[in-house]
Amino acid sequence: MSAIFHNVSLAWYFAWSDMRARYKRSVLGPFWLVLGTGIGVVGLGLVWSVLLNTERSEFIPALTVGLVLWQAISGAITGSTTVFARSASVIKNIKTPSWRISLELVFQQTVNLIHNFVVIVFVLLVYPQDIGFAALLVIPGLVLVFMNIFWIAQVLGFVGARYRDFDPLVSALMPILFFLSPVLYQSRQLGSLDVISKLNPIAYWIEIVRNPLLGSVPALSDYLVVVAMTIAGFLLATWMTRARGHRLPYWI
Amino acid sequence: MSRISLRNVTVDYPIYNSRSMSLRNNLIAIGTGGRISKETRGIVSVTALDDITLELEHGDRVGLAGHNGSGKSTLLRTMAGVFRPVKGQIHVEGRVSTVFGLGAGLVPELSGYENIVRMAMMLGSTRSEAEAIIEDVERFSELGNFLSVPVSTYSDGMRTRLSFGVATAAHPDILLVDEVFGAGDAEFQKRAERRMEEFIEKSSIFVLASHNSQLLERFCNRSIRLEHGKIIESEETA
Repeated sequence: MSAIFHNVSLAWYFAWSDMRARYKRSVLGPFWLVLGTGIGVVGLGLVWSVLLNTERSEFIPALTVGLVLWQAISGAITGSTTVFARSASVIKNIKTPSWRISLELVFQQTVNLIHNFVVIVFVLLVYPQDIGFAALLVIPGLVLVFMNIFWIAQVLGFVGARYRDFDPLVSALMPILFFLSPVLYQSRQLGSLDVISKLNPIAYWIEIVRNPLLGSVPALSDYLVVVAMTIAGFLLATWMTRARGHRLPYWI
Repeated sequence: MSRISLRNVTVDYPIYNSRSMSLRNNLIAIGTGGRISKETRGIVSVTALDDITLELEHGDRVGLAGHNGSGKSTLLRTMAGVFRPVKGQIHVEGRVSTVFGLGAGLVPELSGYENIVRMAMMLGSTRSEAEAIIEDVERFSELGNFLSVPVSTYSDGMRTRLSFGVATAAHPDILLVDEVFGAGDAEFQKRAERRMEEFIEKSSIFVLASHNSQLLERFCNRSIRLEHGKIIESEETA
């Protein structure tokens, strides 16, 4: 138990120190990231609100939350396929539980998301939403999303370490996944194509984080699906780590 | 009391060719029952350690000798818990610290100071313990102001100083060292040897793999010679 705690705090500390190192020699520091997100929101918001013929005050807040969340999700997924290879010198030389390496990736995305929250707060000030205490549901929502990102990073990390061509495959699929996920639109706008969002796990994650921030309570069924996904995913990741974890040093 | 015990330990290395590392080729092989892509399952396994039985106890200073590829590094990594034996049992008691390869685990973009803390934490220290050893590593490594700049600017010798300093500062019970004295100037080697002596007095088990027989004689009281993954010679020396 104390070993788990030690490794979790290690992953958190490493994620922070990486963040610091990455932006050490730049003026804006991690706020380059925030600036990037801000530019994305403004650009996409202006163009797509016209293209989709929707009200900006309604579209831009939804887009912002969706985009920030998408960055965390896609960052973790594309990073996960090479996460173990990038830490090869640690894995091959120091006894390291593999999950600590993927948790570090998840924490890096958490740190990024915390920074990007500045953009969300800013947009919500410009376009105030009718939010009350239901907004607090964003916290359990984010916890669930990051738990899912964690098992996915671990599983994809293993596949990516074993099969070298998995990384380009995942990178190629990400743009499609972006359009299949309700980032630029909301699931209810899909109409008869609604089945897409019913089958896409990312759609559920976005729902349980975005809805509270826009003033509505997510459906209980959305939570149930995400909780079930989390449990199934953790079982899969645990099984994979137990069965194949010891082979990791040979793969990378 | 620290202890390392290996009983009939065998370690196999799977060696993958580029085809077996490809998901596409594996899928084709499954889809066609292996008829089209015959080479896919080209996974060869090499026995790096073959039925090793070894008992190390408090006070043992072991020198591992043997040719390149004889299994010295694999044995050290197995003791460190990096490789898991396919057969046999390994049991390690005590806190292990390792110096394998040049600057293994260092993050090039981070400064020397930050790497000290990182490495020490990876070797099992808490954050405050890790910060407490900074001074000691500073003194030993004599890197001075270099500790504030990114490790990517370091020479091989400087990286060795840093990793060796951290590994020995964390007061482990067991120290495993894999041939690191090649890099580093003569003066550093002398200092590293002195530090090793100090360390050996405090720690309980020390294992050094090296091609330098003088070094092995000087530090070790047991010598083990490996060949093709087997122990061919094991004797008490000093």
